Amino acid sequence: MAARIDEFLIDVRPQREWGWLVISYLFLGGAGAGLFLVSLYLEHLWAGVLGLLVLLVGTVLLLLDLGRPERFWRAFFRPQTSWISRGCFFITLLFVLGVIELALQWPGLELPAWLSEGTTLRTSLRVAGGGAAVLVMIYTGFVLAPSPAIPFWNSAFFPIIFFAYSLLAGIDILILTSPMLPGPSLDLMLLERNQNYLVILCLLLVLSHVSVMSSSAVAARESIRLLTRGRWASLFLGGVIGAGLIVPLLLALPVVWEAQVQTVFALTFILALLRLFGDYLFRFLVMRVGLYDPLL
Amino acid sequence: MARYGMVIDLDICIGCNACTMACKSEHATPGGIFWGKVLEKEVGKFPAARRIFLPVLCNHCKNPICMEVCPTGATYQREDGIVLIDYDLCLGCRSCMEACPYGPRAFYGGDGAYYENGRTPFEEAKQHFPEGIVMKCNFCVDRVDQGLNPACVQTCPTECRIFGDLDDPQSEVSRIAAEKKARPLLPEKGLEPSVFYIGG
Repeated sequence: MAARIDEFLIDVRPQREWGWLVISYLFLGGAGAGLFLVSLYLEHLWAGVLGLLVLLVGTVLLLLDLGRPERFWRAFFRPQTSWISRGCFFITLLFVLGVIELALQWPGLELPAWLSEGTTLRTSLRVAGGGAAVLVMIYTGFVLAPSPAIPFWNSAFFPIIFFAYSLLAGIDILILTSPMLPGPSLDLMLLERNQNYLVILCLLLVLSHVSVMSSSAVAARESIRLLTRGRWASLFLGGVIGAGLIVPLLLALPVVWEAQVQTVFALTFILALLRLFGDYLFRFLVMRVGLYDPLL
Repeated sequence: MARYGMVIDLDICIGCNACTMACKSEHATPGGIFWGKVLEKEVGKFPAARRIFLPVLCNHCKNPICMEVCPTGATYQREDGIVLIDYDLCLGCRSCMEACPYGPRAFYGGDGAYYENGRTPFEEAKQHFPEGIVMKCNFCVDRVDQGLNPACVQTCPTECRIFGDLDDPQSEVSRIAAEKKARPLLPEKGLEPSVFYIGG
């Protein structure tokens, strides 16, 4: 196990510790929580079930990334300072409140009057479930943002970017799985229209972050160079910005304004796939261009 | 209470890596993992080009961000400022490695043998690290508790490292830090490292 030669050089260093398992968790955890949040709004039982399943897969991947997965329960011990610890509580809270919410929505279930639809308790449970979903969507941004070590991550934009991207991905998973989901049919047109607002929001946030970072610390400027002119430029400009945001926005124009229902069905699937691809790629690149400042 | 720290004189470091090897020998760190090392960089242009050396180790910061982000409390700080890792509590999530700007921490995934043919008798005898945890320089805490200097300080042939109590104004480390205007690495990060540099 030889050390790499660049470990002995005074230079900008890339982070190598968090790889595809963490990237996949960032994507699936956010998307699952986003989908659950949307399911509450749409009151769609099976969308909620799917959201929790996606979150579960992401959480398993995160556990597999630990050096000692069997000690995962110890991560609940430092919520006073650690965002990872807080995230464990948020994920647990979402699973608990999510399962309760879905159980209460289960068809044919006889509920006591104090738990029926419209009661204060029921509404409170739903609001708390939605709150837990929002926390799961944004806390990963707070894991990255407070770190002074990697200037590209040290930004208040990340919690908001991850929220927007998580909601976008959650709705895209819903669009892709809508033909197979039991329950009431979904208004794809409405979902697609909302996606365009989210795409514009993501675009503005990502470009703002790039703009702020391009005049920040040495390592952040190098991260931006890698994204815009260096090794990852084609994936960032072509994949995240182009295929993931701008192309779906342009292709969606006829869907939104002309309302040709026949074209909606096929096109929305393609748009959803493109946006999901862009979302995963964005999280991949955030990890790949995480660079430490040089020590001298 | 003491606050242990170190001053390293970059003008007299010759980049021999004796400190690196003393550290490996003292702690039997696994192959490819260095708790302390000497970084280098080429500066200037021919014919005035030269190499500069920067010995690095855990900075045992007064405000250790690694301790703040650790979700289990595995990273902790003694009253004398030394930052340690409790291997029994570490999850191997590596959030400390992501948060520390100095890069002294290493993840140990197992297979600590230096050579391909398996562990040497030395490694068999001294290497008892659990797998799947993060490790780093501990300022040779066992030696310090016995009143000795860390192995890197003891070994340095040019005596470029001075170790001692930063809170004692009479200590050699404090006097030299004050006289020669010692500065830490990346002070703008706000972590208040206990390792300072002079010269260079």
